[in-house]
Amino acid sequence: MTLETKRLIIAALGGLFLLSLVFVQWMETARKAEEAGLREAHVAVPASSKACVDCHVQANPGIVDHWQGSTHAEKGVACVECHQAAEKDADAFPHYGVTIATIVTPRDCSRCHTKEGEQFAASHHAAGGNILASLDNFLAETVEGARMNFNPHSPTPGKAVESVNGFASAFSGCQQCHGSKVALQSTDGEMITVDDLAPDADGLPTNLDAVGKIVRNDNGRPLFHPGTWPNTGIGRLNLDGSRGSCSACHSRHDFSPRRARQPENCGKCHLGPDHPQKEIFEESKHGVAYRDLKDDLNLDGETWVLGQDYSAAPTCATCHMSGHLRNGGEVTHDPGERISWTNRPPVSLVMDTDIHHAIVKETDPDKRRALIYDSAENKRDRMKQVCSHCHTPDYINAFYTQYDDLVILYNEKFAKPGQAIMAALVNEGLRTSTQFDEEIEWTWFYLWHHEGRRARHGASMMAPDYTHWHGMYEVAERFYMELIPQALEMADHAAETGKRAQARAVRTVVADILARPEHAWFEGGAEGEMAKIRAEMEKRYGQGKDGP
Amino acid sequence: MPNAAQWVQERLPVSGDQLRELTNEPVPYHLKRWWFALGGTPAYLFVVQIITGILLAFYYEAAAASAYDSVRYITEEAAFGWYIRSVHKWAATLMIAAVILHQMRVYFTGAYRKPREINWMVGMLLLICTLMTGFTGYSLVYEQLSFWGATVGANIADTVPYIGGFIKNMMLAGETYNEHTLSRFFVLHAAVLPATMVLLIAIHIMIIRLQGITEFQFEDEKVGPKKTFNFFPDHLYTELMIGLLLMIVLSALATIFPATMGPPADPLVTPEVIKPEWFFYVAFRWLKLFTGTAAVLSMGFIVFTMFAWPFIDDWIRRKTRFQEASVWIGIAGVFAIVALTIWEAVVRH
Repeated sequence: MTLETKRLIIAALGGLFLLSLVFVQWMETARKAEEAGLREAHVAVPASSKACVDCHVQANPGIVDHWQGSTHAEKGVACVECHQAAEKDADAFPHYGVTIATIVTPRDCSRCHTKEGEQFAASHHAAGGNILASLDNFLAETVEGARMNFNPHSPTPGKAVESVNGFASAFSGCQQCHGSKVALQSTDGEMITVDDLAPDADGLPTNLDAVGKIVRNDNGRPLFHPGTWPNTGIGRLNLDGSRGSCSACHSRHDFSPRRARQPENCGKCHLGPDHPQKEIFEESKHGVAYRDLKDDLNLDGETWVLGQDYSAAPTCATCHMSGHLRNGGEVTHDPGERISWTNRPPVSLVMDTDIHHAIVKETDPDKRRALIYDSAENKRDRMKQVCSHCHTPDYINAFYTQYDDLVILYNEKFAKPGQAIMAALVNEGLRTSTQFDEEIEWTWFYLWHHEGRRARHGASMMAPDYTHWHGMYEVAERFYMELIPQALEMADHAAETGKRAQARAVRTVVADILARPEHAWFEGGAEGEMAKIRAEMEKRYGQGKDGP
Repeated sequence: MPNAAQWVQERLPVSGDQLRELTNEPVPYHLKRWWFALGGTPAYLFVVQIITGILLAFYYEAAAASAYDSVRYITEEAAFGWYIRSVHKWAATLMIAAVILHQMRVYFTGAYRKPREINWMVGMLLLICTLMTGFTGYSLVYEQLSFWGATVGANIADTVPYIGGFIKNMMLAGETYNEHTLSRFFVLHAAVLPATMVLLIAIHIMIIRLQGITEFQFEDEKVGPKKTFNFFPDHLYTELMIGLLLMIVLSALATIFPATMGPPADPLVTPEVIKPEWFFYVAFRWLKLFTGTAAVLSMGFIVFTMFAWPFIDDWIRRKTRFQEASVWIGIAGVFAIVALTIWEAVVRH
């Protein structure tokens, strides 16, 4: 090779290297600009959705803007990919040459996110819509509202109110969290729901009579019943037979993982008097750490594996759903997978579940064992794996002992006796089977549904104030000062009206309960107990004489 | 006013001609073939490693509590950090490959024979230093594989009779991996080993200069007058071409396959699969085949044989009729190395 050739090759290679450095510089600048928010992340608009984006950027710039900031946009997943529908879908309609549906259901999301869809379908979240036939539902639809439209009480100046929608409280309240039974308007004035459409395995309606009755506008677009849509309830009953709404947690249209990782997201529903999980979390050391260390949580990380991407503080997602080092970073969309007690019913149940993910209620040990598909112990072990990133086994096991003890104390001292008293009143005919028409039914509801749940959930997430003052203290007060006196008063009233035997039966149940050693203080007195406590205080702290 | 050259020459009494004479040794013609310039490649990559290594050291923190996070900072936040780290990682891989290729070329062309036995041994030391630098560098990231790789490495050293415990102790700065281990690895990786290598490279090149580059007679070449060409600029151009090509390849590898982060080290959880870097696959497979002290001793014996090969080869050539036995032994050795490496690469455990 001549020197001249070598020189030329060196010039070419040198130029190429310089170019590669320029390319590196370009990548670096782009990265920094994206990080600083100076440049929008790369967006790939697929040809299928170009027309949608061009039009909707005028009509709904917010939607397009949110989508442009999403991972979907980076990966070329746009409008049509999610909203496309089969022509036979009940809610499908032609829209500028494409057949689409307004509501994107978990079945649609599962086209790409199959595993997530399956996990979600197996979760208690997906069954959130079951409330539609529960006591809470009765409260909203009957006690708070009415299962009908009724006439207004008097004219409302400035607003022509001709009819009152009795379901309004249920539609805007319960169903916004639990999920509505999505309904289309029917030509006969009724609602068309999944029950009427009877969808097949592919989600296509089999009852064509019902499809024929769907009210459509001039463009062929089906009209939804405004009480049931919009709705992003976690257990929404969709027209295609699927349950739930992915956007309940992954708010559309950016489907931000960052948001789903934060407790505020869960707090849309998990708050308030009956299950204040978000407030409980906020009170706990976990919540305190979260508020302080939120910036260190790498919430924007592509993956969000505890112990790898962050360890500063846990959020709801950390413990109940997200991946961690011990499980290979696997996320679960079934938040019940790591929960070992259900504290939802009046009496807490151990979360042994059968093959259909239902809680096993069988009491015979052998039969029970045969039914269990995923045991509470397994679920607890999965949660312990999460805990063990930051806590030692001794610490975790001792925590679970404290938690179990509180739940069992509540169950045995108040919940089971309360249930027995309420059952005795019904069995003896001293209260009606209609819920909430008698004072004691409200009392009992407050006791387990509000205060009892708060106490148990408080203990489950290490929030002492919710366990005690908002929990067990109120349970005890409700039990001794309201439930017992009200039950005895009902018995007295029954005796006065000639139902002596029934009254005696109820009094016996109450007396048996109060005769138990844990309640003995109530009637037998607890003289000396305070003295004992004071002596203990003195021993422990060297004071106590002026104690409360 | 005296011109600049004169100003310098008054203070450094070396003339341009003298410099040219010093560097411009005639180079044998076979060095026009690129594979004979493989010695320059690792040297070039070594320079790349020194420069990128210094840049990384500005941010790297050799402490268990902060090492992983400092590497993460370099990779994700520091300006050009990802590029520098990726180039450092890929240059390490290429350097080890180049050293091995260079050594193979020297071996198969018999360039280690008298009078170059000492330089062969210096080269062997350089190979060992290069591998040790790779090993210590791998451990600095303080991810799971770093931690467990170092632990396994120390445990292997522990099986050497008599001195194993001492070696392990020296490696880990204690009985087990502790808060001093990382800083020890860092000092070895960034100071002791590079300094040793600089010294060895200097000796290596000095010996080459003293002995001259090995002459070869190729069978297809007519025996004629000895042909040479100038080191400067001709051979330097060849080296420059290789250097530029390497920089392009490194940039491409760094951008297409940038260095990533594994899970951080967790002393409580042993990863399901522990694997060293690819250049230790052969040793790792060997250790799995003949577990325990026997494996370590046999490996030590192989390394010793490689060290002493010029003398063993000389003995074979003098005492037997197998003049080119080394070629066949070399081929068998290369096959064994490739086979063991591939074996280790394909199995999960």
